[in-house]
Amino acid sequence: MSESINITNIKDRIDRIEDILASVAAGDMEARIQTETEDDFSGIEAAIDLLINDLTEELRQREKVQKELESKLEKIQEQQKTILQQQEDLLELSSPVSKVWDNILILPVIGTLDSQRTQVMMENLLQKIVETGCTISILDITGVPTVDTQVANHLLKTVTAARLLGAECIISGISPAIAQTIVHLGIDLSTIRTKATLQDAMIFAMKQNKRDDEIRALKNIVIPNEHAD
Amino acid sequence: MNLHEKRIPIIKIHDYLIVPIQVDMHDKMAIQLQSQILEEIARTRAKGVLIDISVLEMVDSFIGRMLSGMASMAAIMDTSVVIVGMQPAVAITLVELGLEMPGVDTALNMEKGMEMLERKLNNRKNNSV
Repeated sequence: MSESINITNIKDRIDRIEDILASVAAGDMEARIQTETEDDFSGIEAAIDLLINDLTEELRQREKVQKELESKLEKIQEQQKTILQQQEDLLELSSPVSKVWDNILILPVIGTLDSQRTQVMMENLLQKIVETGCTISILDITGVPTVDTQVANHLLKTVTAARLLGAECIISGISPAIAQTIVHLGIDLSTIRTKATLQDAMIFAMKQNKRDDEIRALKNIVIPNEHAD
Repeated sequence: MNLHEKRIPIIKIHDYLIVPIQVDMHDKMAIQLQSQILEEIARTRAKGVLIDISVLEMVDSFIGRMLSGMASMAAIMDTSVVIVGMQPAVAITLVELGLEMPGVDTALNMEKGMEMLERKLNNRKNNSV
C-alpha cells in the first residue's frame, strides 16, 4: 500500500470535468465524463457521472409533472368557460318571452328573482314588445316563491317602462305569500293591473283584443259618416 | 340662426299634428318646440298631436319633463297628445330617473298612436252627443 496518490494526467482530466460540467450547465444532458483510466481519481469522475444521471432523471420528472399540471390547468379553464357560458345561457333561458296570440306576449317567471335577472327580464320584454308590436304583455309570476322590496320595485319598473312604450303589462299569479310581502313592504300596486291566474290574464287580454277590433270596425263605419256630415 | 336650421317640423294632417323628433334635442330647443307645438295647436285647431321619438336614443329628465308637461298643457287646450315609438332603453332610463310620466298616452308606433287618437276623439264625440 503506497501512501502516495496515484493520479495520471491530472491537469487534462480536471479540464475535462470542467468542460463536461459546463456543457451540462448549458443544457446538454447527454454529456458524460466516461473515464477509462483506473486510478484514485476515477471514482470521483464516476460519481460526477452518476450525479449528472440523477439530475437528468430529476429534470425529466419535473418536466413531466409540469406538463401534467399545465394540461390540468387548461382543463380547468375550459370548465370555467363552460360554467360562465351556461350561467349566461341560464339567464337568457330564465326569461323567455313568447307571443302566444295576436297582440299578446307572455313572460312566465319561474324561480327566485334577483336584481340581475329582473333587469335581463325587463330588457328582453321591452325589446320583444318593440319587435313584435304586441300591445298586451302578461307577466306570470306563479312560479316565484318570494319577492323582496328590490324585486317588487323592479317589477313595477318593468310595468311602467312597458307603459311608456305604449304597451299594457298585466301581472298574474301573485301568490298569497307575495301578496302579503308586497302589502307589508308598503308597495302600491294599485296602478297596475293584476289578475289571479294566467288564465284570467289571458281572458282579459283576449277581451281587450276583441274590444280593440270592434272599435276598429266601428271606426271604419263612423269615419265615412263623419265626412258626409 | 343655428337653432332655426335645426327646427323640428310640425306637420298637419286632417285634425292631427305630427311632430317627428329626429335629432337629439338640447334644452333650449325643447322649450322652443314646446311653445311651437302649442301655438300650432291654437292656430290649426288640431284635435290630437302625435310626437314620434322613435329615433331618439337618449331622453334626459328635462326632455322627459318637457314631454309630460306638454301633454298636460295640450290637455288644457282640449287636445290629446300621444307619444309614439319610445325605445326600450329610453323607457328604462326614464323609469330609473323616476319619470314615469303619469297621464301621458303612449303607443308603440305611429299607426297605433293614430288609432288611439281616433278612438279618443270618437269617445269624446259620443259622450258629447
